[in-house]
Amino acid sequence: MEPDAAAAAQNPNPSTGPPAISAYYQTRAEHHAVVSSDWLAHAAAAASLPSSDAADAAADAATSLLSPGSNGGGGVIEEFNFWRRKPEAAEAVAAIMALAAVIRSSRATTMMELEIELKKASDKLKSWDATSISLSAACDLFMRFVTRTSHLEHEKFDAAKSRLIERGEKFGEISLKARKTIAMLSQDFISDGCTILVHGYSRVVLEVLKLAASNRKLFRVLCTEGRPDRTGLRMSNELAALGIPVKVLIDSAVAYSMDEVDMVFVGADGVVESGGIINMMGTYQIALVAHSMNKPVYVAAESYKFARLYPLDQKDMTPAHRPIDFGVPIPLGVEVETSARDYTPPQYLTLLLTDLGVLTPSVVSDELIQLYL
Amino acid sequence: MPDVQPLVSEFVLKLKRRKVEGSHAVARQTAELLRSVVSQHRMGSTNQAAALADAVRGVGEQLIAANPIELAVGNIVRRVLHIIKEEDISSTAVGIEGLSVTAESDDEYDSGNDDHPTLSAAVLAAHARNALRAPSLQTLLEDIPVSTALSRSASSAGDSDGKSGDKSSKARKLKHDVIAAIGDLIDEIDTCYDQISEQAVEHIHQNEVILTLGRSRTVKEFLYAAKEKKRYFRVFVAEGAPRYQGHVLAKELVEKGVQTTVITDSAVFAMISRVNMVIVGAHAIMANGGVIAPVGMNMVALAAQRHAVPFVVVAGSHKLCPLYPHNPEVLLNELKSPSDLLDFGEFSNCMNFSTQDGTPLLNVVNPTFDYVPPKLVSLFITDTGGHSPSYMYRLIAEYYSADDLVVRRKSTSS
Repeated sequence: MEPDAAAAAQNPNPSTGPPAISAYYQTRAEHHAVVSSDWLAHAAAAASLPSSDAADAAADAATSLLSPGSNGGGGVIEEFNFWRRKPEAAEAVAAIMALAAVIRSSRATTMMELEIELKKASDKLKSWDATSISLSAACDLFMRFVTRTSHLEHEKFDAAKSRLIERGEKFGEISLKARKTIAMLSQDFISDGCTILVHGYSRVVLEVLKLAASNRKLFRVLCTEGRPDRTGLRMSNELAALGIPVKVLIDSAVAYSMDEVDMVFVGADGVVESGGIINMMGTYQIALVAHSMNKPVYVAAESYKFARLYPLDQKDMTPAHRPIDFGVPIPLGVEVETSARDYTPPQYLTLLLTDLGVLTPSVVSDELIQLYL
Repeated sequence: MPDVQPLVSEFVLKLKRRKVEGSHAVARQTAELLRSVVSQHRMGSTNQAAALADAVRGVGEQLIAANPIELAVGNIVRRVLHIIKEEDISSTAVGIEGLSVTAESDDEYDSGNDDHPTLSAAVLAAHARNALRAPSLQTLLEDIPVSTALSRSASSAGDSDGKSGDKSSKARKLKHDVIAAIGDLIDEIDTCYDQISEQAVEHIHQNEVILTLGRSRTVKEFLYAAKEKKRYFRVFVAEGAPRYQGHVLAKELVEKGVQTTVITDSAVFAMISRVNMVIVGAHAIMANGGVIAPVGMNMVALAAQRHAVPFVVVAGSHKLCPLYPHNPEVLLNELKSPSDLLDFGEFSNCMNFSTQDGTPLLNVVNPTFDYVPPKLVSLFITDTGGHSPSYMYRLIAEYYSADDLVVRRKSTSS
């Protein structure tokens, strides 16, 4: 994990080379994927939490010794990378933690100065990994919060500053709470005896299914493999550990199995203004198949993933690439589609289950407009 | 409280026996009952609004359990709970003066207010409104902080004892306001037909052909209003088996001089190509824009979609339900007596229970409702205007508070 992360830290910027690898999807793969064949052993090691946690904590402590010394622009990215490496922290949490750290180390004496400094840091963070939607959405959200707070009731700069830091650091909790809320809201949608299709690994979807299982609901899960990082294997492993009957499919077997499916549950990397979602490759085709067979598609996503983007088609996004291992050498002169994500338009989604409540796709733009206009 | 109990039990019994017909009557009677519950409620010295809301919730729980299919009951209970909250907040915002009686059911807000009574009224009102509103992106980062960021000593403890006289008058005012607001709600339920039919001329044009199914009072008033404005149009009425309410509507329309044709339900698809617009009533509108409507409606909606005919649903806002339908065909449906379909004597020889394992060979199923998914609905016309199905959530956010979706007494839930 260490050398990988170092590599990602070195060269994640898509502008540097043609086959630029998306740092966001790199992190996802590190956290959720089972790249090697002995994935069971790996998962078992991950399951024995206490020991690995201790190791993690030690590693964190080591890194945290390094990170806070930095102030000014360069520190944001280090701080962000530090948080990003924690498997439980969402990317948005890492971004907001990093921005909160900027505020803490800032020597600004007025709100205006602080805002400018923060703007610089957030721009830097955003351009560092332009492929991550939740990163830029979280930066925007926090900037918006800072702007609104400054001309709110606080007269004293220090009070405002400490409040901003405190709120930023609470964001991890907010994120966890959001997942819990989503899990609670979605319980009504899972009925006894139903079959749920999930695509790859998603923390929120796992939380939903976990809660349903602990509510003694009886249901079956079909889990896609989630090539190329095979995050679905990790998902199925965790589901099986919870005692949920689970079946793994290859990604191309979705249409074949759709008639036994009652509903599709997917997570999202980002929810865009149209109400559609951007998610790992394959989500769009699953939604299309589900739509044509009249099966509901539910998206479980935290509201801080709502992004001010309006993709018009699949190619209308910052390209996010990832290496794909085909197992055999690719013939010379053959191109490989390495895009890591796709866009699912809103008409193929039934409902969004978010911490703001159960929403129809059209609510997303409403929320965004309320916040940013 | 004991004074209203007989009233409550009487209404519960009526609901259980399905003696109250139609969501309008149910909504109105529920609102009236809740008004008397509120007026009989004895206000305590602290937390009046919470106690009041709890009393309403207790009654509401019984009413909803009495007939869970009749969603209008739950809607009105939630509306009243929302009213109590709103009135409470507006009264706190007006007479802010060191009163720690927010009595918000929302705990965060409660503690927030107690912590710093010196905050300006405007700020407090803003926070109160935030607490009332559904969670949004705007409040994602800032909802909890008020109570934690600035911790000032609770200086209002001494005040609250000294101002008990002031408080009781405040409590009376709150109660009075709530009763007045429920009165407004009842008026709104009564006048919803007028509000809806005012919009009729905007939607029904000269020489159009309208199709409807069964009989809905809202639809009737809507068509009447267009007729009164000298619009000439024709109406196809599908009879609405098995209750044949369509026959009644046809008679009523003819009396007003509307050109009317009665067709069987099964002829809807044959006629739909000649129709300009389908206008129907509803039993309830769900939060996703789906409609619970009299049986046969889904077929009409599908026929309308096939021929790209606008499918318009007219309904008062008391039919707006903040819940999402889960398996609505089964869970939000009611099976009525088979006597609507068959005469009792007619099939008596088929009802032979002695065959096989004691189950008769003939089954009669008489469901009351259909679920029409939101994608089949073109437009909703409510008393607040025309809305697309995907906009229903907005109206719901206006009428209900998010934490009232489950009507249950606080004491039992916590």
